[in-house]
Amino acid sequence: MRFYLIPLAAAAIPLVANPYTQFMVNLMLVYILVAVGFNLVLGNLGQLAFANTALFGIGAYTAAMLMAHAGWPFWLVILPAGLAGAAAGFLASVTALRGIRVYYLAIVTLAFGELLRWSYIHGERATGGTDGLAVPRADFFGIALDSETARFYVFLLIVTVLVKAVSNLLRSRIGRAIVAIRDNELATASLAIPTGRYIVLAFALSGFVVGIAGSLFAVLIGRVIPESFGLIELILHFAMVLVGGLGSLFGSVLGAVVLTALPEFFRRFPGMYEMFFGALLIVFLLAQPRGLAALAARWWPQLRDRYYRDR
Amino acid sequence: MLELKDVSVSFAGLQALSQVSLSARAGEVRALIGPNGAGKTTLFNAITGYVPIASGAIMLNGAPIQGLSPHEIAALGVRRTFQNGGLFGELTALENVLAGLHSRIDASFAGILFGTRAARDAERAAVARARELLRTLGVAHLADQPVKSMSGGQQRTIEIVRAVAAEPPLLLLDEPAVGLAPPLRAQLVELIRRLAGQMGIAVLLIEHAVDLVMAAADAVAVFNGGIKIAEGTPAAIRADPAVLEAYLGHG
Repeated sequence: MRFYLIPLAAAAIPLVANPYTQFMVNLMLVYILVAVGFNLVLGNLGQLAFANTALFGIGAYTAAMLMAHAGWPFWLVILPAGLAGAAAGFLASVTALRGIRVYYLAIVTLAFGELLRWSYIHGERATGGTDGLAVPRADFFGIALDSETARFYVFLLIVTVLVKAVSNLLRSRIGRAIVAIRDNELATASLAIPTGRYIVLAFALSGFVVGIAGSLFAVLIGRVIPESFGLIELILHFAMVLVGGLGSLFGSVLGAVVLTALPEFFRRFPGMYEMFFGALLIVFLLAQPRGLAALAARWWPQLRDRYYRDR
Repeated sequence: MLELKDVSVSFAGLQALSQVSLSARAGEVRALIGPNGAGKTTLFNAITGYVPIASGAIMLNGAPIQGLSPHEIAALGVRRTFQNGGLFGELTALENVLAGLHSRIDASFAGILFGTRAARDAERAAVARARELLRTLGVAHLADQPVKSMSGGQQRTIEIVRAVAAEPPLLLLDEPAVGLAPPLRAQLVELIRRLAGQMGIAVLLIEHAVDLVMAAADAVAVFNGGIKIAEGTPAAIRADPAVLEAYLGHG
């Protein structure tokens, strides 16, 4: 029950936020899913797969194309966006299963992302090419998502449900198996845990969550363009997981919130944000690879991620 | 229980094991001794599916298991520990033991996803069982510590607890006494005797410490250069000239 206190408290944000702040909060919600999904593979499974912007883009384009070309309402495209992301995640897992790991996996997945971006640019009829695709007015079971506040409540609902589901998974035999594979894959198999199946599962789940994040992003921005899913975006996703805390669900949320808000603090100092962002990445990589979550857990041990539940 | 017939393993033309026959029986501790490079760990890896065998047969309860993958063999009730330590360092002792209970937790994917009562009950029962195991084997105080912060001896103990959590009929221990202080070694002997005597587990034990082998084992098999050179009771092995030669010959 403690879990729901955070979204319940967040539900009051529209009372105090102006539309611009509300937009930033909505963007945070999208990035929470992005970081949570990415962290499943990068932090929990411990695989250097950098397909996250590819998964994000597939979700966004799936949603936008189904809405723009097929006329589907928003609520109906959320699941297909997640499934498309999961299918792409599954594809990435096959490379990992075939023994393509570490740097090779990183390169293969990076190339996959760039290949997709190329196909968005050249698949003009479906994707609108470099100009992108305008997302029609979104409709969530009859509620028009034409204000930041309306989008906020729908996003908050979706993010809460998904993060809770991921939290349930992590604190079960599934989450333990995934982390066990990261710590010692051979020993994991010796405990009758089918490691291959869990590697596929982690990748597909990651793709599902990030794919849905893509569909929310499409609706929030109102237009999907290839430029949104490039390397700069990937570095942002990576920074969220790293600064929040590799392998920590709470860290994913923290990292997404902090790094979405960060550019706002630098708006009056042009150029400073990029420098600070770079320095931040270096400092965390060298000095605090377990991120803000590990720092927080040092003062408040209850925040340590647990991989079991006794309630 | 376990029956090896003429098992050979070779790595790139190098014969690591030649025609080894060996058995393990319920309630019995059988020690595997011999100099480094004698093929003892390779034998464990062959039994548990980590290396393929070139010829021979490995039968578990009368059915061949060679060619199965490690997790499939483990699912048939074979558990092992690793010479270099096989714990999940970032996880606590409790979480490690829970991973050992993985196949015993009867919770569906959907049940876990939505946090249904049935899934939570299954998980809670497993947590209770894991805590009980840690208590019975004398390490309850370590339950909530990450294993990477523990001493070598504590880690070895947790790994054994994890290996026996799902009550395997067959347990393979690879040098469990490495780095243990003498009082802990006595405890380990007692623990191994309990696993075989009270729980009826068939134990195969790789160990270099002769005193520990003599105290813990019902039978001893001696290996040298990939060949089983002798097998018998600890007393008989101690008096065997071939064994003495193998050991003295390798300093």
